[in-house]
Amino acid sequence: MMQDYLFFAGINILLAWSVYIILMSGSLSFANGGFMAVGAYASGLMTTRYGWDLWLAIPASAALAGLFGALISLPALRTRGVYLILVTIGVSFCMVVAIESTELLGGVQGLGGLVGTEPWHVGALVLAVGACLWLVSYTPLQRILDAVREDEHVAGALGVNATYVKVVTFGVGAALAAAAGALYGHYLIFIRPEHFNIMISLFMVLYVILGGVNNLWGAALGAALMTLVPEFIRVLAEWRPTVFGVLIVLLLLVRPEGILAFRTVTARAGKRIRKEGAP
Amino acid sequence: MIADQIVNGVILGSMYALVALGYTLVFGVLDKLNFAHSEVFMLGGYVGLSWFALGAPLWASVVVAFVICGLLGLFVELVSFRKFTGRDAQITASLSSLAVGIVIVDLVQKHWGSEPVSLPLPVELRTAGFTFMGVTFNWLKLGILGFTLALMAGLHVLVSRTALGRNIRAVADNPTSATLMGVDVKRVNQSTFFIASALAGVAGVLLAMRTGFATSDIGLSFGLKALAIMGIGGMGDLRGAVVGGLLVGLLEGLAFQFGLGRIADIAVWILMIFVLLVRPAGLFGNATARDVRA
Repeated sequence: MMQDYLFFAGINILLAWSVYIILMSGSLSFANGGFMAVGAYASGLMTTRYGWDLWLAIPASAALAGLFGALISLPALRTRGVYLILVTIGVSFCMVVAIESTELLGGVQGLGGLVGTEPWHVGALVLAVGACLWLVSYTPLQRILDAVREDEHVAGALGVNATYVKVVTFGVGAALAAAAGALYGHYLIFIRPEHFNIMISLFMVLYVILGGVNNLWGAALGAALMTLVPEFIRVLAEWRPTVFGVLIVLLLLVRPEGILAFRTVTARAGKRIRKEGAP
Repeated sequence: MIADQIVNGVILGSMYALVALGYTLVFGVLDKLNFAHSEVFMLGGYVGLSWFALGAPLWASVVVAFVICGLLGLFVELVSFRKFTGRDAQITASLSSLAVGIVIVDLVQKHWGSEPVSLPLPVELRTAGFTFMGVTFNWLKLGILGFTLALMAGLHVLVSRTALGRNIRAVADNPTSATLMGVDVKRVNQSTFFIASALAGVAGVLLAMRTGFATSDIGLSFGLKALAIMGIGGMGDLRGAVVGGLLVGLLEGLAFQFGLGRIADIAVWILMIFVLLVRPAGLFGNATARDVRA
C-alpha cells in the first residue's frame, strides 16, 4: 500500500512538473492529461503488441508525445492567455474521444497487459528531472524563460525568439507528461480512456498553483501534499475533493502565489547581497 | 426525421446559449473566466428538482433555482474574484473558481449521490404535443424554447436599456473610467455574477425538465461546452454566445442524425479550435492590442 502511495505521489510530481515546465514560458496547459494518454497508449502498444522493451518504449513514446505537443502548440500559440486555456481544454477532450474511437487502442474497453514499472523507477525519474530543473535554474536558459514569461515583447526586443522558446517548452512538458503516463500505464496493467479525462489535467494545474508557480519545489510540494496527506487521514480521503477545493480557495486568498512563492533566481541574488553587501 | 433533429438542435442550442451568456457576461465585465459557472448550472438542476419533489409547482422550482444559484454566484464572486483584480490575477481567479466548482460537485455528490436523480414530471406534460407539417412538436420542449428566448430578450433589454445595463457596459469597456464616472464597480460585478449564475440555474432546471433527470457530471460535459461556445462566439460578446449556442446545438443535432454520436460530443471543441485558429478572438470578438498581449 505504502508503495502505491509513493508511486502515485511520484507520478503526480512528474505531472505537476510537466505543467510547470510549460508554465515557465508563460503558457498554462490543460492538455497535459492528453499528452499523458499519448505516452501511456503509445508505450503500451509498443510493449504489448510489438514486443518492445519498456526502456525503449518509454523514451520513444516520450519523444513522440513531445513532437505531438510541439506540433499542437505551433498553431495553438497563435492564441493567448484565456484563449490558449480554451484550446488546450479542447485538445484534452478530443484526445479522449480519439482514443475511445480507435479500435487499435482498445476503444472504451481499454488496453491491457501493461507491466514492468517498479515504484523506484518513478523515484529515479523524479530525482533526475528535479536535478535537471535545478541545474537549469543556474543557467542563462532560466533567465531567457523568465524574460519570455514576464513579457514576450521585451524578450523579443532583446533578441530572444519567444515563439521558439514556447514551442520547445511545450514539447518538453508534453514529453515529460508522456513519460509519466507510460510509467503509470505499465504500473496499472490496464488503462482506459477515462483515466486521462479532463479532471486529470485540471488537477495537475491545481497542484502547481497550490504549491507555487515560481519554482520547481512548489509544484512538487503541491503534488506530494495533495496525494499523500489524504491517504493517511481517513476523513480527508472521504472528503478529498472538498478539502482540496477549500484549501486552494483559502490559500489563494492568503497567498495568491502559492505556498512557496519565492523565485529561485531572485532568492539567490538576495542571499548573495546579504552575504557580500549590496553592490 | 432531419426536421425533428433540427428542432431538437435548436432547443439544445438555446440552452447552451443561456449558459454561455453567463460565461460571456462575467468575462465581458471582469476579463476573467468563471470556471464555477458550469457547476452552478449543474446545481440548478438539482435545486429545481428537489423543490419539485417537495410538491412545489414547476414555476416555483424555476424561481427557487434562479434565486439560489444567483446567491451562489454572489458567493463565488466574493471568494474567487473580489480580491483578484487586475489582469495579472486573471489566471489566479479562474483557478480559484475552478476549486469552488470542485467543491460544489463533491458536495452535490455527497448529498444526492453520484447516480442521476430523475425529475418525475407528469407523463401527459412530457408527451403532449402536436404535429405540424410532418414535424412533431412537444409543448414542453416548445415551452422551454420560448422561456429561454424570453430570458435572452430580457437580458438584452436589461443590458441595453436600463441604468444597470449602462453601468455594466461601462465597466466592461473600461473599469477605471467607469470608476471615475462614479460607477460602483463592486456593485456592478455583484449584479453581473447574480444575473449570470441565476440564468445558469434556470438553464439547469430547464435541462433537467428536458431530459427528465439531473446528474452531477453535466457540469463538465454540458457546462464546459458552453465555455467553448463562448470561445467560438467571441468572449464578452452577447450576440456571439447566442449565435454560437444555436450553431453548436444545430451541429450536434445533425451529427447525431447522421450517426456520429461520439463525434457530436466533441464537434463543439473541434469547431472552437478551428475558429480560434482563424480568428483568435472568436467570431464576433474584436481583439484589441490589450487582449492580444494578455
